[in-house]
Amino acid sequence: MAKILIPTPLRQYVEKKDSVEIGGATVGEALGTLTSEYQDLRRHLYTDEGKLRSFVNVYVNDEDIRYLSKESTPLKEGDTISIVPSIAGGLNGS
Amino acid sequence: MIRIEKNAWKVMLDHAKSIYPNECCGAMLGNVDGGDKLVRTAVPLDNAFGGSQAQRYELRPEDLLRADREARAKGMDLVGIFHSHPDCDAYFSETDLKNSCPWYSFVVLSMRKGEFDHANSWLPNPEQTAADQEHLEIVED
Repeated sequence: MAKILIPTPLRQYVEKKDSVEIGGATVGEALGTLTSEYQDLRRHLYTDEGKLRSFVNVYVNDEDIRYLSKESTPLKEGDTISIVPSIAGGLNGS
Repeated sequence: MIRIEKNAWKVMLDHAKSIYPNECCGAMLGNVDGGDKLVRTAVPLDNAFGGSQAQRYELRPEDLLRADREARAKGMDLVGIFHSHPDCDAYFSETDLKNSCPWYSFVVLSMRKGEFDHANSWLPNPEQTAADQEHLEIVED
């Protein structure tokens, strides 16, 4: 089982839990199971085409899965998955 | 509504002043009860934008991850993000909207000639096509 830490604004979709223990061999499987169990959460993490939203980063422990095997990144017992948004901005539109 | 305690507010303004004329950024930690948010701690973070930081900011996700862990360790929540607009109003720009995340409150600090001028809080919609203004109050600790 891996522990998925739920960002505060998304806890309303997971019975107000701050983390959820989920089984799965890979990050993709774990997130898939999570969003099947809590279907209202899915649209906040995935596009209609089933891809992770562009601003959603996923970490396994301290590692960004983009630099591992993305959603195929394997999970081991006790791993912690964090969902972290990309945030930028500024007054200049260029 | 978002309320920000005075000590946290001072940290935000001091950070914006110290980084001026560039844009500052940081995380706001506190407690969330539905639409009622209380910011109790502000965490200045690096502006990691690779170009001119006078008109852009970028947070490193790993810095935000650390801020979220700090919040959890203190029994708090990550409430939102703050950044400054040097010599510009505290509106939510097209750039802010496109690069935001619709989960959090975004407080924008207008800094004029290095001093605080005014602030607004914004809530981007899920499509990131518009942002509603959120009532902002500074409160005693």
